[in-house]
Amino acid sequence: MNNRFSDQLIAVLPRLRRFARGLTGSVVEADDLVQAACERALARQHQFQEGTRFDSWMFRIVQTIWIDQIRSRDVRKEDGEVAEDRLGSDEPVRRIEARLALDEVRRAVDRLPADQRTVLLLVTVDGLSYKEAAEVVRVPVGTIMSRLARARIALQSHLEASGAMRRSTNDAEAQ
Amino acid sequence: MPKRSDERLIAYLDGAVDVTERREVEAWLETDPVARDQLAALANSASLARLAFDDVMHEPVPDRLLAAARGETVSSNNPTKIVPFMVWRGSARRGGLRGSWAGLPVAASLFGLLLGGSAAYLGVSKFMPGGLGGRPPAVEMAAADNAWLENAAGYFKLSASAGDGLIDVPATSDPHEALQKIGQSVPQGVRLPDLKPWGLNFRGARLVVAEGRPAAELIFTTDNKAIGPLSLIIGSSKEPDAAPTLARRQDVNLLYWRHQGRAYVLVGQADAGYLWGIANDVAWQLDAV
Repeated sequence: MNNRFSDQLIAVLPRLRRFARGLTGSVVEADDLVQAACERALARQHQFQEGTRFDSWMFRIVQTIWIDQIRSRDVRKEDGEVAEDRLGSDEPVRRIEARLALDEVRRAVDRLPADQRTVLLLVTVDGLSYKEAAEVVRVPVGTIMSRLARARIALQSHLEASGAMRRSTNDAEAQ
Repeated sequence: MPKRSDERLIAYLDGAVDVTERREVEAWLETDPVARDQLAALANSASLARLAFDDVMHEPVPDRLLAAARGETVSSNNPTKIVPFMVWRGSARRGGLRGSWAGLPVAASLFGLLLGGSAAYLGVSKFMPGGLGGRPPAVEMAAADNAWLENAAGYFKLSASAGDGLIDVPATSDPHEALQKIGQSVPQGVRLPDLKPWGLNFRGARLVVAEGRPAAELIFTTDNKAIGPLSLIIGSSKEPDAAPTLARRQDVNLLYWRHQGRAYVLVGQADAGYLWGIANDVAWQLDAV
């Protein structure tokens, strides 16, 4: 076992979980996906090229496994699953409202087509550059830009329609 | 005439335009209030998208994923496996103009609300190998500690199953009053950590024995089944300081350490990741590491 390889893998786990959570919309499926990605990465660690970005390599593995999964089965989940166990019984009302707004955002992301969702998560949520995202998804940068634009516009429309943007704005004004 | 499109505005927001394009977009924004509004809305929705997935970054990584990353498998029958909680110290970077999002105040406000829920994680480096604690977790207790860990597991199971009947001092409207009462019996007194960000509510305290001395068992309950009821036992100790150590006794997990004459043990059925996170929070609040 290459300890340095495992250390790199452990360091990137939170970001992989976030990416997978956004892709699957499910806590359990996301962790299953990340676990499968870890196992694949360890089995193929000889394929990782030193000097290239480890995180991008792992994102690509997660994305590839996920694509394989949604091709082989219809992965759908129930609304609200993302919010499981997140609302404590005694949370202040304002915090609950904030969480509801963010649940709405997660649902809006979940409604995006898979290719748009992937790019949104890589670029907007994780902060990859367009070029890095293009390398992960293996499409031209122009495709990343157009997918991202469609995703952002759709997200904005969903949020405006659901009132999540308005709730967050009201919340800011109430501060 | 440069192309005016949402795609262009988004690339501008993401810092993915060159100098010429940036100037063109800024000139466009100066003369077009609709474009400015659209830019603000796009920035706002992007900030919300980031916030919506921010919680994940602060969650303890489940044992099974840490084990998978090490090429191990997690067995529930392996009572001495140590899986330290690793902390993510921030995103790789934030690109371009993202620091000047027009919608940032809205998102920041929302973040402020959520921060309370995740603030507990801010102190986690205290327990991290290489952090202020500076030491990797020990692999297992010394044999002499076994009895007291067995007792601690037993105390937890008893308080979890017996309800309020065993509590010496129930948490009233003022939980600190409960602590004051029980603190009279415990050398050095006891302070109460606020574990509400974890969904844990203080239910009361009772006197127990740790390392042959009086100790306080602080009993917490929660609706969160992933964490479950939990006890924090704080007693005095003459033993030298000891690094945080994870152990398992009687089907419950224990995280145990000593610091400056006090012994601490966190007991519950939560998995190791949660215990590490909560223990870090306790250590941070009580200056106990």
